[in-house]
Amino acid sequence: MNAKDPVCGMDITPQSAFASREHMGQKFYFCSADCVGKFDADPHHYAMATSATTGFNPELPLTQLILPILGLKKDGDATQLESWLRAYPGISKVIINRATETAQVNYDPNLITLAKLAEAVRSAGFRIGGAQMRIGIQNLRCASCVQFIEDELCAAPGVISSSVNVATQEATIEYLPEKTKLADLNNAIESWGYKTRSAASEEPQDKQQAAHEKEYRRLMSHFWFAAIISLPVLATAYSTFVPFVRDWSVETLRLAWGVAALLTLPVLFWSGIDFFTGAWAALKHRSANMNTLIALGTAAAWLYSTIAVIFPSIFPQGTSEPFYDVVAVVIALVVLGQALELRAKGRTSEAIKKLIGLQAKTARVVRNGKEMDIPVEEVLVGDVVQVRPGEKVPVDGLILEGSSAVDESMLTGESLPVSKKAGDEVIGATLNKTGAFKFRTTKVGKDTALAQIVKMVQDAQNSKAPIARMADTVSGYFVPVVIILAILTFVLWFDIGPQPQLVYALVTAVTVLIIACPCALGLATPMSLMVGIGKGAENGILIRSGEALQTAQGIKTVVLDKTGTITKGKPELTDTVLTTDWKENELLHLAASVERSSEHPLAEAIVEGAKAKGIALSEPTAFEAVPGHGVIATVDSRRVVLGNFKMMVREKAGLGDLEQKAAVLADDGKTPMFVAVDGGAVGIVAVADTVKEDSAEAITILKKMGIEVVMITGDNQRTAQAIARKVGVDRVLAEVLPEDKAKNIHLLQAEGRKVAMVGDGINDAPALVQADVGLAIGTGTDVAIEASDITLIKGSLKGVVTAIEVSRATMGNIKQNLFGAFIYNVLGLPVAMGVLFPFFGVLLSPLIAGAAMAFSSVTVVGNANRLRTFKPKFAVK
Amino acid sequence: MTGAQIIVTLGGIALSIFIAWFFWLAPKGQIRAAAGAGGVQEVAVIVKGGYTPDVIVVKSGQPVRLNFTRQESAACSEKVLFPDFNQSALLPEGEQVTLEFTPDKPGEYGFQCQMGMLRGKLIVE
Repeated sequence: MNAKDPVCGMDITPQSAFASREHMGQKFYFCSADCVGKFDADPHHYAMATSATTGFNPELPLTQLILPILGLKKDGDATQLESWLRAYPGISKVIINRATETAQVNYDPNLITLAKLAEAVRSAGFRIGGAQMRIGIQNLRCASCVQFIEDELCAAPGVISSSVNVATQEATIEYLPEKTKLADLNNAIESWGYKTRSAASEEPQDKQQAAHEKEYRRLMSHFWFAAIISLPVLATAYSTFVPFVRDWSVETLRLAWGVAALLTLPVLFWSGIDFFTGAWAALKHRSANMNTLIALGTAAAWLYSTIAVIFPSIFPQGTSEPFYDVVAVVIALVVLGQALELRAKGRTSEAIKKLIGLQAKTARVVRNGKEMDIPVEEVLVGDVVQVRPGEKVPVDGLILEGSSAVDESMLTGESLPVSKKAGDEVIGATLNKTGAFKFRTTKVGKDTALAQIVKMVQDAQNSKAPIARMADTVSGYFVPVVIILAILTFVLWFDIGPQPQLVYALVTAVTVLIIACPCALGLATPMSLMVGIGKGAENGILIRSGEALQTAQGIKTVVLDKTGTITKGKPELTDTVLTTDWKENELLHLAASVERSSEHPLAEAIVEGAKAKGIALSEPTAFEAVPGHGVIATVDSRRVVLGNFKMMVREKAGLGDLEQKAAVLADDGKTPMFVAVDGGAVGIVAVADTVKEDSAEAITILKKMGIEVVMITGDNQRTAQAIARKVGVDRVLAEVLPEDKAKNIHLLQAEGRKVAMVGDGINDAPALVQADVGLAIGTGTDVAIEASDITLIKGSLKGVVTAIEVSRATMGNIKQNLFGAFIYNVLGLPVAMGVLFPFFGVLLSPLIAGAAMAFSSVTVVGNANRLRTFKPKFAVK
Repeated sequence: MTGAQIIVTLGGIALSIFIAWFFWLAPKGQIRAAAGAGGVQEVAVIVKGGYTPDVIVVKSGQPVRLNFTRQESAACSEKVLFPDFNQSALLPEGEQVTLEFTPDKPGEYGFQCQMGMLRGKLIVE
């Protein structure tokens, strides 16, 4: 038996081989030291290159696969593909089915892998229509591992191709859903020593919550320790007020102080360790922060006290009293403040948790003809999922069979369940109401509409509002300034203060260090932004950034696109005009029955309109469409003609006063169609794009808020005015070409007003970008609209009102926070320095300073949390 | 004025000047990102009480990959933000988190924790 050297490819006999190696259960033979050396350096590479391991059961030499082939139906030359594939070694049988766009291939997996097969199909000019998924790989760093993992993945059953990206730490895999198990793919990656990461979006959130919980407990144990130590330490500090202790002699007291010195050491270096490590780390970077201040303040207090206790004689009379109480109490309070702040912070991200909570936990997928419940993270693109009434749709997809009504209110705000049939799109996290259906998944994991919404909201919450820049600049200088202030305070009290000068100097300096609170400044904006943007999301408004939120509050002009924004963007039956001896139902019955056979959107509007009135339709016969004119058909053995004026002329049907009535309808922006029965014109049916039910209400409220409302449209002046009158818009920009919309926005901006544009994300993209704030109306899975600053996922114009309200409420809250934080520091620092002392003899105790500092930041977070009670004027449900 | 007071006054002024110099005026240490395979400029940043390194110099127009590892549990540093690049990431303790983006314009861009207590600078040349 001959063997092949896997490195150089030379044919050799095992007996004459220079060396042999075993890898992945296969034996390899080498011709020379050079080859074996190369192999040893990178065995997997060479083994994979020639290995016949495909992951398929080698016991079954012939495998049959049905491959979905893309592009076969349209223009594919099936015979060419067939003969092309047959030419490959290992492929024994190829049956191409053009109708189902599949190829049945029988092949020997020992000779050709699926990946090679896919390549063969590609080289014939076709593509295998596999599904795609991404798997995260943790800590993937070495670029050389990429090839190994890719090869390993390709060897897994059902995989068509795979590529690993070091930058995103992700593997993108194309595969055949029926043949692939997620566990196999994960195993392939894990066999190279890496951990996989599920693509589920809620994981980091849960982790963060767990980390917060742990950190809270750690802080609380630090607090309790410091608090308990504080009690005896306080007793020694205020000995004259404590019974029993006040009777102690000076010597006993001094001894007690010594004990206090020892007791406060673990408070400093256990409860307060964060302040010291934080201060040190900052110092190494030549920067300073809140930790620096607390560490300096408490360390100064402890050192002074200890020197005073050990060497009382070096201090002037009456200044050798320690204040260990400051050390213990301040650390206890500040740590408590941090713990409470953490708690309050957790609530600011409630909106995200609610969104994530919408996600279904499991999915019932159909694999190999069997239904099985699997965690939603393991659902693959291309899986078939069964959904029963009352269940949540687990991921995004397209319905294959069955029909139902689906409640999408949680994502789109559409309060009525939407009816869905085969071919319709379903969105993950929506609720199936009435029927059962099967759907093929199109987006899973972090690609689903819900996951995208969550990602968008999180990104926005972490973005910056321009208003925060000022606070940022201030806090950049804040801490060193406070340290300098503390030094100056010390010097002033030491030089011109009353006796005992040293004690006063030290106490005031320490108080200055402790009362200053850069945290409140830093927290003011991000916390409110977090709650405000979350609140928007709860109300179906996705605000993309802090900047968009801040700009939205100052909007003075709102420009509304007409079609699809003010109106439904879809024609509806609006009017019927009858000649004397006809009834509306009769006319609609005939007209709609004819239009049943037509695919024109106007025809659909008439059919829908008749159905909505509960009119039963008949089957038309002898249907004929006359392009540019209308349609003709026989309904209930009557010849019915439906069409425009030209059609009536062609049919020689006398119109009488119908012609003038049609002109009135056309003036109103509607499309009239004449109906002639058995040669005589009998009436008109008119369809038009109708306004959304709540557009007028939303526009009224916008105007009440002092905002100018402008309508922009490509329609003619007459139609535009008709709609504008209906909804109460005063200013109309009509006959604007799509490419000129942005220019018109620019002209409005030139009037010196902040302009918001509301439109759909596709046609109006340039105008949305040009506007100060672009609001896109998005529905369904199409939520992450790039061009917009704000996306209204509930199609209603009320969203514009709510968006402005959210923006105003949040910005108000931010201003309160910033004002509070500034005032706190601006008043607190001078008081701590002792400005009140010359006038009222009042000096701030460092203990009170510690409490004030600890609770100022809690107050800021608490105030931000007040935003959670925000209610929009009208809940768009 | 007593001798002690003169000493304290002069000492205080000197210390204040030193602090101003130390925090604001003295040049900070920088680290230049090394470009690896494919021109990606990669830097590992440790998050512990601050960012190490905290001043990172990169070239414009080339992708920058920053690997953050948070080595503390204090919730303060649990997020890192690059507001100018609209990038942010949650940093679970002890886990390496990668941020990648391409700075196009030269300039100085700050990065920081959510409330701005920890700060660093990305200098794009």
